[in-house]
Amino acid sequence: MIIKKIEINNFLCYYGTDNIFEFADGLNIILGENGEGKTKFFEAIVWLFEGGSNFKSKVSAKALKEAERGSEFEVSVVMEVEQYDVIKTVKRSFVVEKEDDADDFLPSSPQIIGIIESKNGEREKVDGEKLLDTIFPPEIRKYSLFKGESELNIFDNRDALNHLVNSFSSAKHYEKYVSIGSYLKKKSEAAVDKEIKNNSNKKNEIELLKVGIKSLEKEVKNYKEQIEINEAQKIKTEKEIKDAEKFVENADTLKIINDRIDKINHDITREEGRIKENYTTFLFDESWILSNYESIHQEFSDKINKLQKDRRRLQKNFDIEEGKRRGKEELTEEFLNGSLPLPIGVPSKIHMEEMIKEKICKVCNRPAKEGSSAYKFMEKRLKEYLAKQKPKVEKKQIDRILFENNYTQKLLNLSTSHENSLSSLRNIEAEIKDRFQFNTERKEKIKLLKEELENEIEDREKVIGKSSVGEKKLISIVKNYTGWQRDITRINKKISELEQEKKSADQKLREKIDQKEAIDMESASSFLTATRKILRDVEIIFRETQEAKYDEFIQKLEEKSNSIFQEINIDDFTGTIKLQKKILMGQPQLNIELHERDGIYYNPNQSLVTSMHMAILFAISELASELKNESYPMLFDAPTSSFGETKTKEFLNLIYETKKQRIILFKNYVGKDKNGNQTVKNEFKNVKRHKAFWIKRHRPFDKVDLSTINTNVISNI
Amino acid sequence: MDDLFQKWKDKVPNYSKKFKDLFNSISAKGGAEGDKKISLGKHFSTNYELYIYAFFIGLYNNEHSPIPNEEKKINFSHHIRFWGNKSNRFDREDFSQIQEYIFTALIAKTDIDLIELDKGTISENEAVKELLLTLEAYTNGGLTLIKEKLEDNSNFFLQPTAFIDFMISEFSKK
Repeated sequence: MIIKKIEINNFLCYYGTDNIFEFADGLNIILGENGEGKTKFFEAIVWLFEGGSNFKSKVSAKALKEAERGSEFEVSVVMEVEQYDVIKTVKRSFVVEKEDDADDFLPSSPQIIGIIESKNGEREKVDGEKLLDTIFPPEIRKYSLFKGESELNIFDNRDALNHLVNSFSSAKHYEKYVSIGSYLKKKSEAAVDKEIKNNSNKKNEIELLKVGIKSLEKEVKNYKEQIEINEAQKIKTEKEIKDAEKFVENADTLKIINDRIDKINHDITREEGRIKENYTTFLFDESWILSNYESIHQEFSDKINKLQKDRRRLQKNFDIEEGKRRGKEELTEEFLNGSLPLPIGVPSKIHMEEMIKEKICKVCNRPAKEGSSAYKFMEKRLKEYLAKQKPKVEKKQIDRILFENNYTQKLLNLSTSHENSLSSLRNIEAEIKDRFQFNTERKEKIKLLKEELENEIEDREKVIGKSSVGEKKLISIVKNYTGWQRDITRINKKISELEQEKKSADQKLREKIDQKEAIDMESASSFLTATRKILRDVEIIFRETQEAKYDEFIQKLEEKSNSIFQEINIDDFTGTIKLQKKILMGQPQLNIELHERDGIYYNPNQSLVTSMHMAILFAISELASELKNESYPMLFDAPTSSFGETKTKEFLNLIYETKKQRIILFKNYVGKDKNGNQTVKNEFKNVKRHKAFWIKRHRPFDKVDLSTINTNVISNI
Repeated sequence: MDDLFQKWKDKVPNYSKKFKDLFNSISAKGGAEGDKKISLGKHFSTNYELYIYAFFIGLYNNEHSPIPNEEKKINFSHHIRFWGNKSNRFDREDFSQIQEYIFTALIAKTDIDLIELDKGTISENEAVKELLLTLEAYTNGGLTLIKEKLEDNSNFFLQPTAFIDFMISEFSKK
């Protein structure tokens, strides 16, 4: 889309209906001194795009004064554009009716109308707002109109990055998946929790873990935020320091002293890091608590040795008793007259049963009545045989033993193993002494280093004292400089502490989550836990894909910005633009940093900052063109006031080469001739452009009477 | 032995409710709310560390002082078997072997007829119960000593070496 024409009628200083700007496709420059109507031109465009309730204040004072009482005139801004070979016009306007009272008037309601003119010349009236959004979509407009240098940093506000990504990156399309992923993950987790709550006897434990997890998550988040805040503070302070250093005359000496101070600070940090004073922890981790344990061990060892002896003695006595008892039992089994009995199983079981049943001893062929000694003998022989057939274990069970357990032996083993480690217990006292001595030495060394540091800081103050600014300001710089240096040390320490604490909280959180997972795995059905695992993975995939798209966009923007930046600053020092995504208070933000070889470049001049911002804006414009298959005009009001004339010329020539429609309002190149009249300087001839305008107030005019002000537009200068 | 040691480790010992405030003030259960209590060495990072410390203080000073029946007993639901396990504890060493040293000290100090235990006439459960009572008695004695120290000087334990000093000085007094 290109803007073909802007007409401004009876709008502020643009009196009448002859204020027409017919633009070329390419670089259009509007020159004008301060107060000649540049800003009013910009305001007219903004009013056309956005409207607004204070339209009554836009009426040209001159038009109002010159109108007849009771007559009407129109206030309007008209934009004619060409989009895909079709001419489209948008007009915002209202009618003013001058009342009888000379100073008052009655405006009609403002309206916006659109007209589309087809190739065959037919004109069709359409909804103005809709047409405006078609020809110049609002998300594009946001990156197309800029007033002054300060507005060029579009990332100054918090949701700038989100807005940019939502407008120009495919990352926005992943948002819906991320939401679904998060929803499904929560559902699956709730399902597992519900089942455990209903079925598990560990529901109380789970509840406790959940509370713990929630609180630790909060803690981790809190640490994260504090780290971010401290890091932001550090960057700010480092910038203050670099700014202050600009005033110092003997910069080399300052650098040497600062390097020495850095080294001393580094040494102090290192020595401090070597001091290990968590003595309470050492009680356990280094077994210091066992330093007095030897006597207890001795007591234990004596007790167990005595126990062992007692036990052996008892066992011996028991064995003797048992031996006697067994001897007795065997004795009762001896046969009559000392003769040996027949082997068990002779006669066989079947024959024995047959003889008992028939009550006859078939070995000696005599009757054996029930109850008789022969009958009982046969019964006993059968029982013996049957007992012999049973498994051996049963036989064992009926053996008598004195000790069921052998704790004595186990305790003896423990005592021996502790005996072997006695030497390390004896060393504990020496270890404690060594540690105390080591720490004392470190502390003494730190004390010396701190004295050295004080001296260096004094020297530094002397160097800063010889600076190029006035005495009063100097005192403040010296005071602040030292303070900032201290702040940096303090902030670094704080960040490192916070990181440690965050790490520790992270560990605890992981531990609790693992505990909960373990209970989940044993208490919930495998279907639910498996589903949860899948949905968790799905959530991660969605989220990481969106983040990757986000990062891809930022990387592309950075590459494009740097390439344009190099072109704008050709032959000059540029550095590299770094776009860094940071999450602050849960929201992604984009930090723009200018880097030199050694890191952040803290003191770029305004012109470098402006070209950096312009480069980013042009890069966004290119990305927008790629996305929409269409390029859009950009309008800048005094964007480069910090540029000198040479740089301005080079900058404009570069924009000229891009062959994209840019409208730039400048006060440069307007000077005064020898009669004191405004004139366009000769140097402007060297500025390449496709079209140029000069706006200036019609002279003479009354400085205190607005109704004498009327800006004239001079085209094709 | 495995049975006895294992059964003992499965227990959670008690302490008298009157020391609850002491636990709250010098142990930092669940992290030290960011004020670096642990790193300064002024506090115990878990309740059971204070419990172990009190036990050894009581043991070394021979302060066998059973919790009176009328005092309410409470505990912190942390089984002995987990004492000193590294698990995910950040920046700490595993000191679970301390369980074995406590156990042997209890065997040394408890009047259990180990012969009868070997014979099986006393059950492991009965023996474990006795061992726990000894553990509680020495801990109770140790906690009393710590409390008295705090009553004499409420800032005593603000020094980083306080707990070491206390352990050594109390022992050398005997």
